[in-house]
Amino acid sequence: MSKKKRFGVSEALSRGLSETINVVENNAGIYRNVVLPLSRIELDPDNPRKLAITLADVQQGLNKSDPLYQRKSEEFERLTELAMTIKSSGIINPIVVYKLGEAYRVVAGERRCLASILAGKQEIEARVFNEKPQGFALKLVQWIENTAREDLTLDERINNIRDILRAYQNQHGDISVTPTLLKNIIGLSLPQATYYVAVLNAQPDVQQMIENGKIRSLDKAAIICGIESPELRHQAISACITGCSLKELRKMIAHAKQNSKKHLMVDQAVKRGRAASRVNMGFTLKPRVIQVIVESVVDRAEYKKYADLFMKVDWSHIDQTTRMFKKLIEILEYESEIAYD
Amino acid sequence: MRVIAFLNNKGGVGKTTCSRTMAEYLSKVKKRPTLAIDFDPQCNFSHQYLKMEIDPAAPEGLMPPIHPDYDPQDPDHYDWDGRSSISEIFYGQGVVPYPTYIEKLDLAPGHAEKLLAAESVRKSEVVEKVHKQLANFLASPDVKAAYDTVVIDTAPSKGPLTVSVIKAATHIIIPSVMEEQPVQGIYGMLQLWMQESLSREKNRPLTLVGILPNMFKQTRLHKDILTSLQENTAIGKYMMPVKLSQRIVFAEIDSEDANPHSIFDFQENHVAKQEAMEVCEFISERIFTNE
Repeated sequence: MSKKKRFGVSEALSRGLSETINVVENNAGIYRNVVLPLSRIELDPDNPRKLAITLADVQQGLNKSDPLYQRKSEEFERLTELAMTIKSSGIINPIVVYKLGEAYRVVAGERRCLASILAGKQEIEARVFNEKPQGFALKLVQWIENTAREDLTLDERINNIRDILRAYQNQHGDISVTPTLLKNIIGLSLPQATYYVAVLNAQPDVQQMIENGKIRSLDKAAIICGIESPELRHQAISACITGCSLKELRKMIAHAKQNSKKHLMVDQAVKRGRAASRVNMGFTLKPRVIQVIVESVVDRAEYKKYADLFMKVDWSHIDQTTRMFKKLIEILEYESEIAYD
Repeated sequence: MRVIAFLNNKGGVGKTTCSRTMAEYLSKVKKRPTLAIDFDPQCNFSHQYLKMEIDPAAPEGLMPPIHPDYDPQDPDHYDWDGRSSISEIFYGQGVVPYPTYIEKLDLAPGHAEKLLAAESVRKSEVVEKVHKQLANFLASPDVKAAYDTVVIDTAPSKGPLTVSVIKAATHIIIPSVMEEQPVQGIYGMLQLWMQESLSREKNRPLTLVGILPNMFKQTRLHKDILTSLQENTAIGKYMMPVKLSQRIVFAEIDSEDANPHSIFDFQENHVAKQEAMEVCEFISERIFTNE
């Protein structure tokens, strides 16, 4: 007996309907998307991204006598590139603002604003927060906006975090800063948060190197901060400046801990790697390769006696193949020892 | 002031019948001073209450008759041709609502040609010239003082006229036949609702009262589609627990000399009247909860 047909709304339509409803339920009233005249927009003087260039510079052009001329002209060049794309295809993401008196203050999107002015635009798409974000929330939005970009320096990032923590402590009292706290309020991974906490408490010499851009990587800075001996720290800083890799830096510190003879460590840091003592066998994604190797080996007269061992192997099975390859290596090592002894 | 709009970009789902039923319920049963607005160039809503005339300039279209208050001798009326439709808002003219046979109900009728012209305004001008006009009109002190509720019938489109209604509304209702194509129309309207909701301030939300199953027939198709919408967790919340069935009486009361002329003039136990009462009471409770 055939089943009666059951009618219904197509899956695509039903998904479309529920998604639309969810968007409204989750977002209505929190902020609104509007088009704002650029003349009503002002930049946030406390924005963590330290752009040297100002609104006036963009409107009136750069002044060569400006002490920051060099930096500003670099920024201007990058803004011009962005302005070109804005001219051709507009801004892709709306900027984020909140209302401040008659004006709108930018939470995120300074460069997009400046570049839109350069592109000759009159208006800009914006997302307006219905309420002025609280100190902490404001900093957090700026942080999220800025960390997604790679061109922020370590110094700028550290200062962002300091500001966020200050805002957080203003709101929640003087709580001690632990990696877990940082992880929870900013959403970093625990290892990253641990690095940041270490760098936030950096010794003055390390801090200075971060400020003047000599140390630019978070993980290197964090490792160096962990060195208690000022002498060793100094050596690590120098090694870091001369372009020593993270791995080398780690090795150097580990070595120093084992060995109190300091001159040795410098040697280690300068030397790139140590003499190889074993052959790296590498790896393969294709277990069949191992099958070929195994079969070629057991094909040789002296290894024929091991052929039974590999008879029932399923060569499409990665774990099994790995085990059998290890077995083969053991056999080869054993046989070659006998042969050469 | 509550501004209630019935929307669905598919035609023939009963927007006009729903608008009419709601407007008559609010004015006749609840005695609320109500303004009915016809925003559909087809002008069917207007035709329920006025003898619309053929526009000699556009033979396809209807236009409102001469207003009963018009006096060609009155010096105040020297620059008025005696007709007034809701489309005057697009031309910077005042709108003079027409009284209807229901005491508390006034009508701002449609004007086919003028509404169609507003619908075809160039894209670059549409925001200023069309989108904001209805909201501006309804925000005027005269309108606010005169009416407590506004019921708007809309055109089956997603164009500038419908957007204008969405921008002016406080509450929207999406009537739909329980068939695939009209349900697609629900999607179009939800999209407009989403866009508008995301651009509104918190204290002025656009409330979706719900999706009203209309012209419902006890067939497997209608029942199954209704069930599948009700069972969806997101959509289910917005499916109204009441419905209007497919009944010939709604078409009968449309005719000019119908007697009675309103569904609410039928006997208490009339099945269509009972159903209409249920629907209108439900909507009314939702809309006036904070009063």
